[in-house]
Amino acid sequence: MMRKVAIYGKGGIGKSTTTQNTVAGLAQMGKKIMVVGCDPKADSTRLLLGGLAQKSVLDSLREEGEDVLLENIRKKGYGDTWCVESGGPEPGVGCAGRGIITSINMLESLGAYAESEALDYAFYDVLGDVVCGGFAMPIRDGKAEEIYIVCSGEMMAMYAANNICKGIMKFAQSGAVRLGGLICNSRAVDNEKEMIEELAKMLGTQMIYFVPRDNDVQRAEINRKTVIEWNPDVPQADHYRGLAKAIDENKMFVIPKPLEMEELEKLLMDFGLMN
Amino acid sequence: MLLRHTPKEITERSALMINPAKTCQPIGAMYAALGIHGCLPHSHGSQGCCAYHRSTLTRHYKEPVSAATSSFTEGSSVFGGQANMLQAIENIFAVYNPVIIAAHTTCLSETIGDDLKQIRKKAITEGKIPEGKYMISASTPSYVGSHVTGFSTMVKSMAGLAETTGKKNGKVNIIPGWVEPSDMEEIKRLTTMIGVKTIMFPDTSGVLNGPLSGEYKMFPDGGTTVAELISAGDSIGTLALGEWCSAAAAHELDTKNKVPCQVLDMPFGLKATDRFIDALRIIAGVSVPDELSLERGQLVDMISDMHQYLYHKKVALVGDPDQLIAMTEFLVSMDMCPIHIVTGTPGKEFERRILEITKDMPFAVNVRAKGDMFLLHQWIKNEPVDLIIGNTYCKYIARDEDIPLVRWGFPILDRQGHQYFPTVGYKGALRLLEKILGVIQDRKDRDDPESKFELVL
Amino acid sequence: MATTTKKKIVQWDPAHVKAELLAKYPSKVARKRSKQIMINEAQGNETPEITANVRTTPGIITMRGCTYAGCKGVIMGPTRDIVNLVHGPIGCSFYAWLTRRNQTDAGLDGENYMNYCFSTDMQDSDIIFGGEKKLAAAIQEAYDLFHPRSIAVFATCPVGLIGDDIHTVTKRMKEKFGDCNVYAFSCEGYKGVSQSAGHHIANNQVFKHIVGENDAEKPGKYKINLLGEYNIGGDGFEIDRIFKKCGITNIATFSGNSTYDQFASAHKADLNAVMCHRSINYVADMLETKFGIPWIKVNFIGADATAKSLRKIAQYFGDQEFIDRVEEVITEEMPKVLAARTDVRTRTEGKTAMMFVGGSRAHHYKELFNEMGMRVISAGYEFGHRDDYEGRQVIPDLKVDADSRNIEELEVEADANRFNPRKSAEEIKALENAGYKFKHYDGLAPDMENGTLIIDDLNQYEAEKLVELMKPDIFCAGIKEKYSIQKLGVPMKQLHSYDSGGPYAGFEGAINFYQEIDRLVNSKVWSYMKAPWQDNPQLSATYGWE
Repeated sequence: MMRKVAIYGKGGIGKSTTTQNTVAGLAQMGKKIMVVGCDPKADSTRLLLGGLAQKSVLDSLREEGEDVLLENIRKKGYGDTWCVESGGPEPGVGCAGRGIITSINMLESLGAYAESEALDYAFYDVLGDVVCGGFAMPIRDGKAEEIYIVCSGEMMAMYAANNICKGIMKFAQSGAVRLGGLICNSRAVDNEKEMIEELAKMLGTQMIYFVPRDNDVQRAEINRKTVIEWNPDVPQADHYRGLAKAIDENKMFVIPKPLEMEELEKLLMDFGLMN
Repeated sequence: MLLRHTPKEITERSALMINPAKTCQPIGAMYAALGIHGCLPHSHGSQGCCAYHRSTLTRHYKEPVSAATSSFTEGSSVFGGQANMLQAIENIFAVYNPVIIAAHTTCLSETIGDDLKQIRKKAITEGKIPEGKYMISASTPSYVGSHVTGFSTMVKSMAGLAETTGKKNGKVNIIPGWVEPSDMEEIKRLTTMIGVKTIMFPDTSGVLNGPLSGEYKMFPDGGTTVAELISAGDSIGTLALGEWCSAAAAHELDTKNKVPCQVLDMPFGLKATDRFIDALRIIAGVSVPDELSLERGQLVDMISDMHQYLYHKKVALVGDPDQLIAMTEFLVSMDMCPIHIVTGTPGKEFERRILEITKDMPFAVNVRAKGDMFLLHQWIKNEPVDLIIGNTYCKYIARDEDIPLVRWGFPILDRQGHQYFPTVGYKGALRLLEKILGVIQDRKDRDDPESKFELVL
Repeated sequence: MATTTKKKIVQWDPAHVKAELLAKYPSKVARKRSKQIMINEAQGNETPEITANVRTTPGIITMRGCTYAGCKGVIMGPTRDIVNLVHGPIGCSFYAWLTRRNQTDAGLDGENYMNYCFSTDMQDSDIIFGGEKKLAAAIQEAYDLFHPRSIAVFATCPVGLIGDDIHTVTKRMKEKFGDCNVYAFSCEGYKGVSQSAGHHIANNQVFKHIVGENDAEKPGKYKINLLGEYNIGGDGFEIDRIFKKCGITNIATFSGNSTYDQFASAHKADLNAVMCHRSINYVADMLETKFGIPWIKVNFIGADATAKSLRKIAQYFGDQEFIDRVEEVITEEMPKVLAARTDVRTRTEGKTAMMFVGGSRAHHYKELFNEMGMRVISAGYEFGHRDDYEGRQVIPDLKVDADSRNIEELEVEADANRFNPRKSAEEIKALENAGYKFKHYDGLAPDMENGTLIIDDLNQYEAEKLVELMKPDIFCAGIKEKYSIQKLGVPMKQLHSYDSGGPYAGFEGAINFYQEIDRLVNSKVWSYMKAPWQDNPQLSATYGWE
């Protein structure tokens, strides 16, 4: 059975980096994975592809019309992962949300998820918040079934995580989508780990992993590689392996209970952020 | 001149479509849905979509066409249409009480990302779909494909109702594609004649060709029942007529319910009907009755009797891919020459099929998928034809260029008969031939000088 | 003829009918509909309040269409020398292609695009990446192919969602061409609650971008504009025939068989005569504010109403010669009408009708039914507002809700150079003292008998119920309603596009309408509903063949 995972989180939180490093960890475990970048910037698979530019699904659609082939839009990256970028319009025009819907439909119709592909995982790396129906596409019925939210101890990141939970709750009521946990991508905020653990508890989920802040992540990125590929022996590589393992072994899937604004503010207060 | 501004000189257009040879997906979904017994089609979008589709179908059939709408406002466009759809489901079952709602999306609800499957589940959870009632849905964004795509997608959703019990029902599924109610009736007559038990879906006969009897049935007696659709998963096989209209549903039954399928051309004309009858015979393991061979022979007889009026007559065609492929083959089989062929529906495969069918014709062929009637008109201005076959909009070209027209396709807004007289099968081909000969010979009678005017033709 | 002339006695009580209409609804729907179903008890200026111009409940099979239909379909559709380009997926343009029976001719200039259908045929990639480039390219292609005087662009639902800036695109193209006016209408289908919003949007843009563009003097002594007449079935042609006979110069018809130049010269008229109050009263108001042209409500549906409207126009100009000419024309036209009327009345007298159309038509056509001795026992509008039911005096009290707020209200003021009050305040006063009414419309309700039912936004279910309970001899609505009513054995006449036939306006039109209604209510076909064996299903004895 293929597991369908979507990674959400506030913009700039490190979703793409976390996703790709985690995928590298899973690939090392021998898993077959497809990563679908759902960000118009089309940079969700850069590290897995060693910096190679990937022609996005939507660009292919625009240029090839109806004759798009799977091989046009899917490239093999680190550890034989399949890398796909949805792509999208430039800022301020068109409809990025519709772009995501179209891309995922196209992948389905081209057989990217077919049993013959023997995928263990499909990962969706989704831009920012669930701002419109298009950005909810990956959590619609039959698409992603487990969601991980990347967050940190910063207020806006937590606020976004809570919002994403609202989106998940809506779709979970009528579909199979569940929250698998929060991934804390540390920003070295005071009491960060405890606070995110508490937030997770209040949301009815878990903090599945605490990824410490480490400059090796940036070093690997400059080399256009995931940490695991760039230097498999550094401690940060172990952390990503740890995260990959936690996800692979995760059994806790819940319908989240989003917090009221006051509850969220109280949490921040309790952990000394609002002083 | 009605189309007085159409120049003979053809310039390439990249953005402007003029006089389209297609319309949008939702109307196809609505037409298909009307072929389920007790079904209320529902348009998830602005009111206008539903109003336009109902009006167009009503003008074509001169019959009531009921369908509901989510009546989107600006608010629903911003906040999503779920609330409207849920409210609609509740009201529809309370007021109209159909057996099944067949909902389709529109460009509006697709763009904002409404997911009808998810909304349906929510409606079930909230008890808004009563026991024994059904809802199916189809995603039909207007900016993809054409009305044909929408039809195909809704028919595929019907196939989604099919269940497999493991016990075969001994029937053959027939997916007739977008043909007239009269054609569906004719297909049933043919299968009955051969002795094959069938489940045909959709089936608009008895729905869109109803009687006037002083009684209005919002849900007429015709249509494929939900029970039949469910049972389609136990059929021994599926015959899908028309690659564009019907293949998707057939493949769905194949992958989901392991019902093997064969995709044939729509049975318009001699050869396509031959292949359809032959396939039926083989699947059911029966021999074709003599009455049917007689019907075939009568068609061949008329072609031979009238061949002098058909031979090398040039024809311009516009319509939908499945229909045009079969019609082109029929015309070529009678030594007529379809030289300009346009569909508005995208699909390069269409152009390939047409070129293959016409490859031995003595004239060059213009064929275009995703084309429009403005282009067709320009082609005609450059290379005139003896006959146009297409929908009612062709009459503007036909009058301006003084060319005989046979109305065939969708929509036909100014003539009657398509509801009642089939053009599929051998009998249908005879009728098509009668119509073609009628306009060609009327033209001859009109144009011949008195000295050449003849009693016997 | 036995069955068709049979006198039928139908007893109904309006309160009972209303209760029956609401009985099946979920309580929330029933509450809402209850306010849109009014038992008429209008007396003088005291008209009971009806709820109108509010949202249709999702799932209820409504007669209404959308804002785009009102803008492109109704108002701009019948303009003949403007290339009307729809920016959106193909359907919207396809469905509005020649389906409204707006008659047209190409005129002396030979410009006519009404038989064409123009669209940008938006594709998936245009939605995702934005459609502005395609729109600009389509405008260019239309310009290169046709060199029209003007190109109008219409937004469909997805255009508003993805935020294509159609107004900037059209402005740029207009500047680029120099000799072609290009402008756009933000008439996305989801705006407003019905077609009505689209009329308003169309009128605003026509006023903003075209009216006043041509200052050349127009010849003619009695110059008027005819507002809200769409030349369906040739209505406008008949009215123009009468105008010509009377010596009235029609500068601009909004918008039946109209041209760009007519709109551009509309400010040269001296009076605005408003036919369809609902769709166009905004333009009349704006023309008065900006250019000083007064407006009056007229109605050319019905021969008596036509005569009355002509006299009203003559009285406004006040020229005895003109007044006499109008009387001559009426005297000349009426005998034929009266002959036809006398003839049909022998067959139509006392019959009943229902009308659910438009935002003024249900009122206008009452005149014709009256002339035939027929009673309208229930009527209502598809997209009317309260003022169309209750009269213009309620306008200040109209609630502005979320659905009307998103439609632009133009701020119009007197034109610095061209404002010219056609009548002085004293002249207006004098006319008013003599009983003349400017800017006046009493609405439908005061004209309906007491105890009749006035129903806003009637839907399919209620229509069927009404027919069942009140058994009218004829029902009038649109194409969608036509056949479900006729299946019940009741003739149905479309009053949007008339099915076939027309004109029904003016004197000739009245005759046509009398004959058409006579044909419908007295057709033999309604007596064929049952076969002999269905009328007498019980076999009393078998026939003895043996």
